[in-house]
Amino acid sequence: MKKRLTVLATAMAVVTALTACGGSQPAATTAAPAETTAAAATEAPATTEAPAAETAAAAEESSEGKVFNIYAWNEEFKGFFEKYYTVPEGVTVNWIITPSDNGAYQQKLDEALLNQANAADDEKVDMFLAEADYILKYAGSDATQDVTALGVNDFSNTYKYTVQAASDNNGVVKGVSFQCCPSALIYRRSIAQDVLGVSEPDEVQAKLDSWDKFNAVAKDAKDKGYYMTASFAETYRVFSNNCTMPWVDADNNLQFDPQIEAWIAQTEDFINNDYTLTAGVWDDEKNKQMFADGKTMCFFGPAWYFNFCMGNAQDPEKGCSGDWAICEGPAAHFWGGTWLMAPAGTDNPTMLADIMNTFINDEEVCSALVANEAQFSNNQKVNAKFAEDESYGNEFLGGQNDVAVFSEMTDNIVWENHTIYDQLLNEGLQNQLQEYFKGSVDKDTALKNFYNYINETYPAINTP
Amino acid sequence: MRNNEESERGRLHLMITRIVVYAILIFLSFLCLFFFYMLIINSTRSNAELQAGFSALPQGHFIENFKNAWTDASINIPRGMLNSFIIASCTAVLTTYFSALTAYGIHIYDFKLKKPAFLFIMAVMMIPPQVSAVGFIQLMFKLKLTNNYLPLIVPSIAAPVVFFYMKQYMESVLPIEIVESARIDGASEFRTFNQIVLPVMKPAIAVQMIFSFVQSWNNYFIPALLLDKAEMKTVPIMIAQLRSADYSKFDMGKVYMFILLAILPVLIVYLILSKFIIKGVTAGAVKG
Amino acid sequence: MSKPKKEIKGGNVSSGKWGYLFILPFFIAYTFCTLIPQLMTFYNSLFMNYRDGLTQVGPKFVGLQNYITLFTPDNSGSIGILKYFGNTIVLWLMGAVPQIVIAMLLAVFFTSYRLNIKGQQFFKTVIYMPNLIMASAFSMLFFTLFSPVGPVNQVLLASGWADKAIDFLNIKVSVRLLISLMNFLMWFGNTTILLMAGIQGIDQSLFEAAQIDGANSWQIFFKVTMPLLSPILVYTVITAMIGGLQMFDVPQILTNGRGMPNRSSMTMVMYLNNYLTTSKNYGMAGAVSVVLFIISAVLSLVVYSSLSKQYKEPKRHRKY
Repeated sequence: MKKRLTVLATAMAVVTALTACGGSQPAATTAAPAETTAAAATEAPATTEAPAAETAAAAEESSEGKVFNIYAWNEEFKGFFEKYYTVPEGVTVNWIITPSDNGAYQQKLDEALLNQANAADDEKVDMFLAEADYILKYAGSDATQDVTALGVNDFSNTYKYTVQAASDNNGVVKGVSFQCCPSALIYRRSIAQDVLGVSEPDEVQAKLDSWDKFNAVAKDAKDKGYYMTASFAETYRVFSNNCTMPWVDADNNLQFDPQIEAWIAQTEDFINNDYTLTAGVWDDEKNKQMFADGKTMCFFGPAWYFNFCMGNAQDPEKGCSGDWAICEGPAAHFWGGTWLMAPAGTDNPTMLADIMNTFINDEEVCSALVANEAQFSNNQKVNAKFAEDESYGNEFLGGQNDVAVFSEMTDNIVWENHTIYDQLLNEGLQNQLQEYFKGSVDKDTALKNFYNYINETYPAINTP
Repeated sequence: MRNNEESERGRLHLMITRIVVYAILIFLSFLCLFFFYMLIINSTRSNAELQAGFSALPQGHFIENFKNAWTDASINIPRGMLNSFIIASCTAVLTTYFSALTAYGIHIYDFKLKKPAFLFIMAVMMIPPQVSAVGFIQLMFKLKLTNNYLPLIVPSIAAPVVFFYMKQYMESVLPIEIVESARIDGASEFRTFNQIVLPVMKPAIAVQMIFSFVQSWNNYFIPALLLDKAEMKTVPIMIAQLRSADYSKFDMGKVYMFILLAILPVLIVYLILSKFIIKGVTAGAVKG
Repeated sequence: MSKPKKEIKGGNVSSGKWGYLFILPFFIAYTFCTLIPQLMTFYNSLFMNYRDGLTQVGPKFVGLQNYITLFTPDNSGSIGILKYFGNTIVLWLMGAVPQIVIAMLLAVFFTSYRLNIKGQQFFKTVIYMPNLIMASAFSMLFFTLFSPVGPVNQVLLASGWADKAIDFLNIKVSVRLLISLMNFLMWFGNTTILLMAGIQGIDQSLFEAAQIDGANSWQIFFKVTMPLLSPILVYTVITAMIGGLQMFDVPQILTNGRGMPNRSSMTMVMYLNNYLTTSKNYGMAGAVSVVLFIISAVLSLVVYSSLSKQYKEPKRHRKY
């Protein structure tokens, strides 16, 4: 925590210096900050107490910007936004979409946010999307602002971890999520029947509710000619979400949580015994296992996973829609989720707040997200309504009420031990270890390559 | 008799050589064409068919894929093609004109810095563009020239490789007499270049135009760092965007169609001009 | 074809100002678009300057520290930049050697009156075509083709040549081979046409004389064609070398920037790119750029000396 505070303290001066000078002429920066810092200070409302900004926003509603710029990395939210949000008359919404490959989205966003104070009104970032893996980088910085000051105050129905995730160290909320992403064990009913002798969620859960049981069942699955999972990294999140310490300590030294070690040990075992494949979580090789002729019993994923990643399973000819079901699995965890963040310096604060309120508190919209889009909404009241509805069921899951299952799981999700480095550290570790699991390098070499990767990607982290 | 036998053997030898040579040529042509073939075949198949595996035969989804790709809401490929076209054609014109001008200046005139200038250009020809990319991007951000086509077009005025080619070409095809007779006719130096020299250089200019057009059309590195507005993006940026596109809408048939559309204009231009181009390359390279 | 009997020094002194004027745009554009950015890059290499999340660290003058870091053995015990330089050279050689050899062979085929190849226009057009595809699209196609569930593996499995899918993209040899194959395919057509032009420029009477002296085709090739072709061959090798040193798109996209396995397909420019993306580490990226520049400079010296020799004797060409 101490580290983060010092980071924040230095952030303003250095960041503005960079914006002014592009970081290329260090000699000149000494002169510039005085002026630009002042500009930034007036621009960025002091996060906790900004009555000035608030009243200004309320009073000048009509004089707000005519262009609303949203930064995103894909089209998912854009689809929902266009369907369920009515844009005020006279406002043009601009989507600036940059793919997240190799961190490209964050690079683009960072440039824009660092340049926010100098940008013309119509060029300013008015809202941006962020994922769980790097949300802290933005929520913990001065590039975002307090949403309660903008009029987003009612968090009574949102899930607690989604609010924590979007808050800085002082508990100031900087954004909201339109979805809640408890992640479940998604299994093939027919394969479970063959391997476990049961296929109903409660019974399957009873046989898979701990890692010991899970690992033992993997052997049974193998004996019957099945794979337990289809990717070496399939269980990564289930472990990493339950870490008891962050990736780096107070002095920025890299550290491996016992949960990460446990994942490596489990995967070594799974790979050596052919319980899983060496494919990555997003690879075709894994996705092919979702067809009807696939041999894999378990996948892990939240509500968005069904539509976003299980296209093969839903294929009308070769898929196996209806042969699936979900249960909590060995450990509670979440995966992903998209937060709508409030950038400091937006010239459309009212509309920004309106969008946020719509997607967390408008029951009609939240219901539509559940009913039409197979989302698990971030509104407990709406979700409860679906969970209790006897007639509600997901065809893909053989009529199972997934909202009810997800609702039960939410209480066990914790949000702690995150760093601004999580995304690329998680990704980098998986990528480097994949080479080890595929047998091209030994474990030691893979870890050393991971450290090299960190040195290049995050010079501030000290590697062993 | 001996002679006959020998020529008989010679003919047999020649025939075998020919067969081997044609076999090699056909194999290499197959390798080159295979990828185009695969691309075209894949653009006629639906996502499900593509997921199912490889097939050598076209299917009936070409029109459907084309419609999906052409009208895609997020990846505005017609717009991207227009943007790429604007940038690539401006680049092609500027780079060939100014390279020819520079080559002409060094080729025809005599001045103190002539040799140092020539050697300087030859030396910097080797420096990888990535070396200056970092500074270039910083400079453009500072000058607020992001989301602007100028930084993508103007640098093409200084293209050492094109200059070198033009210079070589002039040495083999531009007699000084033409220039001198124009001078006698009283044409100004600048007019001589535009009206007498440029027409002589036509084949070389055509070749370098298509090359620089293709290069600019395919350029990704710098444009990706400088352009972020949807309506300004070029084709390669859009292609890159496909890979991390929304998985739920991840239609591989559409992806292949996008790639096909991306290379089609260049391919058509090339096929039309290929005879010309090969001749031009040949002419320019005569002097090693 | 009549030889231009030009003498460059024919221009009079007063027209010298036109010379300056004509080359001015080039030098202005070069200065602003390349030279200044280059100098900025070099300057950057003396500073600690990177981004940690949204926080800018530096710029702080550190002297040659970045260079020391660059040449200090990394976690794997090897000096990263030397390893990646080695990779670049290996990848380049694997692609460029067959590229030049095959191009030479084809050029000889195409220009041989005895063989009299039919359909030359078609073949020449076709071998040039791969050069038109974006490197990124080409790499994506290869990636799909050679993935563990791709068509190549499907064929291998179906025909019984392999009993388990081969993970081409995780075997050092096959990754390097694929990268070289792609570079080869993209460039051999271009080289063929250049070399062909060179051969056509050789005086035919030399071949005839050699034939009368009873030389066979191998002797003619090695004793007549090769020596006379050497200037253009040098040009071809040098341009191929420039391309090799800058190798980026193909391995970057094929391996998704990872240079797997064990970073054995990571090139110099990919390494440079690693510093540029997330960390915006202009200090280290600058240092890598300078090293890259020094290597190019050494190579340019080679060209410089061979070219300046030629430049002194502008009339000496073709009639050897």
